[in-house]
Amino acid sequence: MKQVYDAIVIGSGASGGAVAHQLCQAGFKVAMLEKGRLIRREEFSKDELAYCRRDSVTPNLFDEYHTIEEWEEGEGGKGKWVETPTYESNWSFWNGNIVGGSSNLMSGMLHRMHPDDFRLLTKYGAIEGANIVDWPITYSDMEPYYALVEELVGISGKAQAHSFEPPRSKPDFTQPPTSENQVVTLFDKSCKALKVTPLVTPRAVLSRDKGNRKACYYSNFCGSYGCSSGAKGSSREAFIGPALGTGNLTLLTNTHVKRLESDKDRVTSVVTVNTVTGEEQKMTARIFVVAAQAHESARLLLNSANDYHPDGLGNSSGELGKNLIFSAGGSGQGVLRQKSLKGISFDALMQRGLFINRSVLDWYAIDGKRGEKMKGGLVEFMFEHQNNISRAAKTRYSGEKLRWGKDLEEALKETFLEGKSIRFEIFNDWLPTDNCFVALDKKRKDKYGMPVGKLRINGHSHDLKVASGIAGKCEAILQKMGAEEVYSFVSAVPPQNLVAGGCRFGDDPKHSVLNRNCQSHDLPNLYIADASFMPTGGSTPYTWTIYANALRIADYIIAELQK
Amino acid sequence: MKRRWFLGLCAVGSVSVLCASAQKPKAGISNEIYNVIAAVQQHMFPVGSSIPSAIAFRATQFTAETMMHPTYDKDIRKFVIEGAKELQSREKHQFLNYDTRQREKALRAYEETGYGSGWLDRIMLLSLEGLLSDPLYGGNSRELGWKALQTKGGDPRPTSRYVQS
Repeated sequence: MKQVYDAIVIGSGASGGAVAHQLCQAGFKVAMLEKGRLIRREEFSKDELAYCRRDSVTPNLFDEYHTIEEWEEGEGGKGKWVETPTYESNWSFWNGNIVGGSSNLMSGMLHRMHPDDFRLLTKYGAIEGANIVDWPITYSDMEPYYALVEELVGISGKAQAHSFEPPRSKPDFTQPPTSENQVVTLFDKSCKALKVTPLVTPRAVLSRDKGNRKACYYSNFCGSYGCSSGAKGSSREAFIGPALGTGNLTLLTNTHVKRLESDKDRVTSVVTVNTVTGEEQKMTARIFVVAAQAHESARLLLNSANDYHPDGLGNSSGELGKNLIFSAGGSGQGVLRQKSLKGISFDALMQRGLFINRSVLDWYAIDGKRGEKMKGGLVEFMFEHQNNISRAAKTRYSGEKLRWGKDLEEALKETFLEGKSIRFEIFNDWLPTDNCFVALDKKRKDKYGMPVGKLRINGHSHDLKVASGIAGKCEAILQKMGAEEVYSFVSAVPPQNLVAGGCRFGDDPKHSVLNRNCQSHDLPNLYIADASFMPTGGSTPYTWTIYANALRIADYIIAELQK
Repeated sequence: MKRRWFLGLCAVGSVSVLCASAQKPKAGISNEIYNVIAAVQQHMFPVGSSIPSAIAFRATQFTAETMMHPTYDKDIRKFVIEGAKELQSREKHQFLNYDTRQREKALRAYEETGYGSGWLDRIMLLSLEGLLSDPLYGGNSRELGWKALQTKGGDPRPTSRYVQS
């Protein structure tokens, strides 16, 4: 077991790619271990069956799975936690196990966190049942890295003045916004009539060529698919490709890390298994960066318990795996129909591929019942995903009866030919609680013989209250646009692709897993780069913050390696 | 639906008898089962509609190839086969001889059962996948599904099934 690497990075998603890129650019030798395979830009297609309806880029759930614990209400106010392995529910918590991770498959609607998100406790106060803390760093610590992400990843957008728009060090984005469907004129007009400010959504999609990456070609199928032009700012395109170009990155695909080994003070090696051949080996380096996605990073450290660290690596605080959070809130939809459409032509509405590109920040803080300020959230507006099979499948029921024959024909034609649906997604804080965490399932193991992660999932009632209030305002916008069949849905069911927490960072080793540089309090050559570090999540999708924080801690790691 | 729910029901009643008496499967699916699935799909997607018929878009060929592919969920594969056997059993092996009215009555009655409604839903989903997936997978023959609904898949289109290299 010869040490040839300065750093081993476990995982190739947004954070792993960003850290590896910075280290390689600084001249350090890095091994990146990715359990999935490499799908090159030219290999991606818009294959709905493969990417959206089968486990083509995630593990077979009979081989690798999670156990999900949910609260089930019982009679007389009593209830119990019920656990279900995901091979039974088919509710996969894997996200894009390929080089570049789930960043290949994102929609790319990105937002910075607001300065108040870094001091949620101080700004808005405690909430009963929620483990809210301030971050150990401030927005000003992160801002230069948000700006660097704009440049390196290539975020298109438009700087706009708004009371909840975080301050920027750069006057504007390096890429102008992507092209928009004419429906935005109707959207903007409706917002203004309701005294709502529509904002152009920053998007990790190139509107202009950038190096060897080509601008967006408006394929009509973006989220859930890999990008065939390189426009989407995935970790693979933005970071791993350039890192490979330095000659300092060794990318090892089909390489799953079973556990880390350590002595009392340092991680000494990783134990890997080749997912194709089953061959196991050990690798070592000076430092180890875990970036396996939040719930899997915590599981890996828990599965790495040894005599020196019997509760898992980096777990002297007992906080490892706790305070898991998700980026969620609610969603809603309405359909613009040809017969009632006003202001734009039906052909313009039905034009394929162009984005809506609108978000609303007006409700990032809202008034509570007693007039107190409460943290609210942001809203993204978009077309309903244009996947053909899933849109058709939504038409298949009339009440509880399946449609078929003439009934199905009419429903399909109405959906595909007579209108287009606009959707909104609400992102408000998922408050961290004692009942949302990842632990090891002592009864179940994956095909590699390691205990699977058991995720207890529970949302705080406050989150639902906030989302419900915002949903009503969003419905009003759609109704003003003339949309029909407007509805919204608020729930504590999490999106499994937007997960954070479990290794929260902080200055007190007794109450946090990582220090402010995402370095283990217990093992100084161990870093967690993914969204695990986040003690609270803000009211945004996490990706921009994950990228920015990874670049931030990369600077610290480089300084440590240079010592 | 939870897998164990329908698998639990699968083990009851006449199904186990049918399991023993089924024809030797060709590539894992017997002629009888294939024909039952085809008949159900043809009832769901009849000839004479502006939407392609099950025959036209090759619904059953697609279904058979899809569910027998090694990447397809093994429990759902079993469920599709067992559910067809159960329908045959309920209808005393006469379903294939029924006219349209009788098939409608039989399928709606089957839908009244939890097991039957789950099975019909699965057949419908497989059919819609066959109608609108890339023709590479064996359905959506001549892109008839896309043409009928004035849509198409995205570009680039797949050149191999299930992202196989």
